[in-house]
Amino acid sequence: MKNDKKQLADDNGATRRAVGKRSRLVASTAALSAVGLVAGYGSAAASSGATPHAASVTTITWSASPISTSGPDLRKVLIANFEKAYPNIKVQLISAPTNTDTNESQLETQISGGSSSPDVFMGDVIWPAVFGAHGLAVPLSTKFPKSFFSRFAPGLVAGATYQGKVYAAPFFEDQGFLYYRKDLLRKMNLPVPKTWEELKAESLQLQRAKLVKYGFVWEGADYEGATCDFMEYLTDAGGKVLSSNGKSSALNTPAAVKALTFMRSLVTSGVTPAAITTYQEPQAMNTFDNGQAAFLRNWDYAYSASQSSGSKVIGDVGVAPLPTFQGQSYPGYSNIGGWNLYINPHTKHMSQDLTFINYMTGAAAEHVMATQFSEIPTNESVRVQKSVIAVNPVLATVPHTRLVARPSQTPEYPKVSQAIYQNVNEALAGSESPAKAIANASAGINTALSGGGL
Amino acid sequence: MATLGVVPSVPATGGDAATPRPAGEHDVNRKRLARLGWSFSTPAFLVIGAFTIFPIGFSVAMSLSHVNVSGSGFSLNGFTGSNYSTLVHAPQWRYALGFTVVYTIVTVLVEVILGTCIALVLERLTKGRGLMMALLLVPWSMITVISAELWGYIYDASYGVLDQIFHAVGLGQPIFLGTPTPAIVAMMVADIWKTTPFVAIIVLAGLVMLPEELYEASEMDGASGWTTFWRVTFPLLRPTIALAVLFRVLQAFGLFDLPFVLTQGGPGYSTTSLAVLGYQVMFQDLNFGPGAAVATSTAVLVLIGCLLFLKVFRAQVGEEGS
Repeated sequence: MKNDKKQLADDNGATRRAVGKRSRLVASTAALSAVGLVAGYGSAAASSGATPHAASVTTITWSASPISTSGPDLRKVLIANFEKAYPNIKVQLISAPTNTDTNESQLETQISGGSSSPDVFMGDVIWPAVFGAHGLAVPLSTKFPKSFFSRFAPGLVAGATYQGKVYAAPFFEDQGFLYYRKDLLRKMNLPVPKTWEELKAESLQLQRAKLVKYGFVWEGADYEGATCDFMEYLTDAGGKVLSSNGKSSALNTPAAVKALTFMRSLVTSGVTPAAITTYQEPQAMNTFDNGQAAFLRNWDYAYSASQSSGSKVIGDVGVAPLPTFQGQSYPGYSNIGGWNLYINPHTKHMSQDLTFINYMTGAAAEHVMATQFSEIPTNESVRVQKSVIAVNPVLATVPHTRLVARPSQTPEYPKVSQAIYQNVNEALAGSESPAKAIANASAGINTALSGGGL
Repeated sequence: MATLGVVPSVPATGGDAATPRPAGEHDVNRKRLARLGWSFSTPAFLVIGAFTIFPIGFSVAMSLSHVNVSGSGFSLNGFTGSNYSTLVHAPQWRYALGFTVVYTIVTVLVEVILGTCIALVLERLTKGRGLMMALLLVPWSMITVISAELWGYIYDASYGVLDQIFHAVGLGQPIFLGTPTPAIVAMMVADIWKTTPFVAIIVLAGLVMLPEELYEASEMDGASGWTTFWRVTFPLLRPTIALAVLFRVLQAFGLFDLPFVLTQGGPGYSTTSLAVLGYQVMFQDLNFGPGAAVATSTAVLVLIGCLLFLKVFRAQVGEEGS
């Protein structure tokens, strides 16, 4: 453990030296041209490490849900690095719920109630429309200069934009991946599955050979994660959620029924445990990391978790793009996830918040995330570094994946998603047929989009 | 019941005491007393007004308005009845109402029966009553969110104790929190485990107050234990049980923490109680108008339910008295 920490510190030092020049340049440009920013931010950004106002230490609060589930805490590692670089800003971490829905409603309640804490919050990529429409986040495009946003990989800033304003700074990107047990596939001489049907057949083979308890684990609980997983099967089958003008549901099609029927068949065939209806990311990861499943659908951080102490599958895990349905071209679609940094409109420490976000999306912090925590960095300069790709097998897989986004550009998205995941979850539990569940979900989406219903 | 009888007699005794005095003095006295009374109760009224009446009033107003939510709080933009009609037409609300009513009836019924049995046993205990009472109070004293988390571990479908036990005994492996009916039953069990002690303590308090002579009399008349319970104990316990039921119904109808921790209202929306629905509509969807309508209608419904219950109950007591 001690050695790990030392190693970590050394790595950070090296990183900072290596990328320091660029990040400092970016930081100072940002600082100089930022609208309404005064000495606090400018001097801190320009003289990272020095303490011009040593006497006045400001504490800001940062709300973020746990990112790494085992090993060192990514949030604390980054905070320590930041505080070292900016000694006159202290960051107090507020650990937010892991369930994104609970996390969201807690923040919405606090901020609409006028709370000035947290100053900065880590929020899901699907939140900009909801938070923007209700004025629950500061439009960062009015605080940072345009040049600030050029550091991000293409498409990310558009995803954080609602009605022409950028409400968040992309912190780390994420998408669905297929994790598989290299050792088991090798033992049975099986290829990495390229279709869902193949994945199911291989799972059954491995289970029958008593090599593993379950075939495939993923996220099927009654929450946002079930929408993410469903989106992937849906898009693979050729279906979509909304009509092209975004004003009505396009869900009720044979493609959607095919997708959900397949998901349910994973449960009925025993490939997926029936408990999947209670599985969120941590439960799926635990099952896989305990060696109880051959395949896992999860986000990028699942890789580093599976290789941390406590895992029983260290060295045995491979990463691949998700499969698709037979007859479709490989690979299948991966749902876009990931997390942004937002600023509370009631904050009393705007310049410190901006400094913090500037640092956290800068090359140094993003390098730590990418190399030590298998996250996909949002910072383009880090993302393309060969040395980063070399140590991050997840990142190496990214260019081979195909992405699909959730229909989150409408402020009604929470209700749209609720209609999806509640009905998907019902179908997975077997209390509703896939066809009926899709019809119900579609009706629910239409009600939500028309602004009616609960 | 006893308190209901005492309340009206208070002004009566006041009046009696004042009768012999001359009329003028009476008035002055009464005014002074009234002023004193008001001044004593003003702080309480202020607190109740600020923390009870105002939020309730605001919630009712919100449920009857178009509500906008923004970074600087809510704004109410004009009167509307649409929030309530949305409610009535929403299948989720009708389901949540049905679920909450059934859940309340089942849990309160089981808790009252179990709690009464436990109280009867406790009353007869001659040794170790204190210890048993203390043990009994453990579930009740635990914070619901924490006990719900513990039940969550027990029910967990991958590594839960109950899952293992069911498997070992050959009852299969039901997914307790992931299939609708088992999830509802699992939640009821957790609730009953927690609140039966509360009912038991209240009923025990009632039992201890019952007059000894009646039992001696019924023993002399040769009544069996069963007859004694139904003819003597139960009728006399009715007010106490009514009180316990009232408390429990009010609490069970607001069911929130158990589904919030155990199932998030799932699977599907099978454990979505009215309170969970209100939370989802208000704080997840930021639909404050309909959300307030859920909250207000829930309060009104439970009030009506309790008043009806009291009325029926009082009528029964009255019949027996005559």
